Amino acid sequence: MLVIRRRPGESLVIGDEIEVEVLDSSPSQVKLGIRAPKSVSVLRKEIYVVRKQNRAASEEVSSESVEKLLASLKKPSVKPISPL
Amino acid sequence: MPTADTRLFGVLEYEESWVVSFPFGLPGFEQETRFVLLERTEWSPVVFLQSLLHSTLCFLAVPVAVLDPSYSLSVRWEDLERLGLRNEQQPIPGLQVLCLALLCAPENGPLTANLLAPVVMNLQTRIAVQAVRTDARYSHQHVFSRETACW
Repeated sequence: MLVIRRRPGESLVIGDEIEVEVLDSSPSQVKLGIRAPKSVSVLRKEIYVVRKQNRAASEEVSSESVEKLLASLKKPSVKPISPL
Repeated sequence: MPTADTRLFGVLEYEESWVVSFPFGLPGFEQETRFVLLERTEWSPVVFLQSLLHSTLCFLAVPVAVLDPSYSLSVRWEDLERLGLRNEQQPIPGLQVLCLALLCAPENGPLTANLLAPVVMNLQTRIAVQAVRTDARYSHQHVFSRETACW
């Protein structure tokens, strides 16, 4: 990973069109400003991760896949032995 | 009674009071604001979060407590505000909110649950958010099986 030290008011450039400026920093938080073309999606990483996960989770939900999934999760049921 | 097409349950008749509303949708599905929660006893504890806008959109979920009874909820204040729970304290699952983990069953891979971003629903208002945590305490791909889950 590339590591760069910057102070508030300083910025860095990614490629030709993206600029990230450090606006403010405190011991627990850094405030960033990002200038980028509209076509570039900028997301907090956790939102990006959850978005991808949600898309994957919503795929292929059919009755068969649900049955299969549930079968794999079902605990073997314990049946009482009927007295003869 | 309004009806909605669903992939798993055919045409569903529902009551307006069943609707779970996500004012801001879910990440990746920002336009999906209306869902119903469905369950079938034989498929318990899995529940289905079915979109009322798109019949093909249905998430599988289980209560978080089933996967991890000691799960510690951490809802950001913005999400608490969206839920109408402005207290500084975290809401109590089962009492104030319902807390569900969305499942993902990839074709080649283990079944996982998203504990990084549980769906949290206010039980009184039925308003819900997917509360994405900012810490790295829980995984978005928590692997589980019938051996590790508590049901």
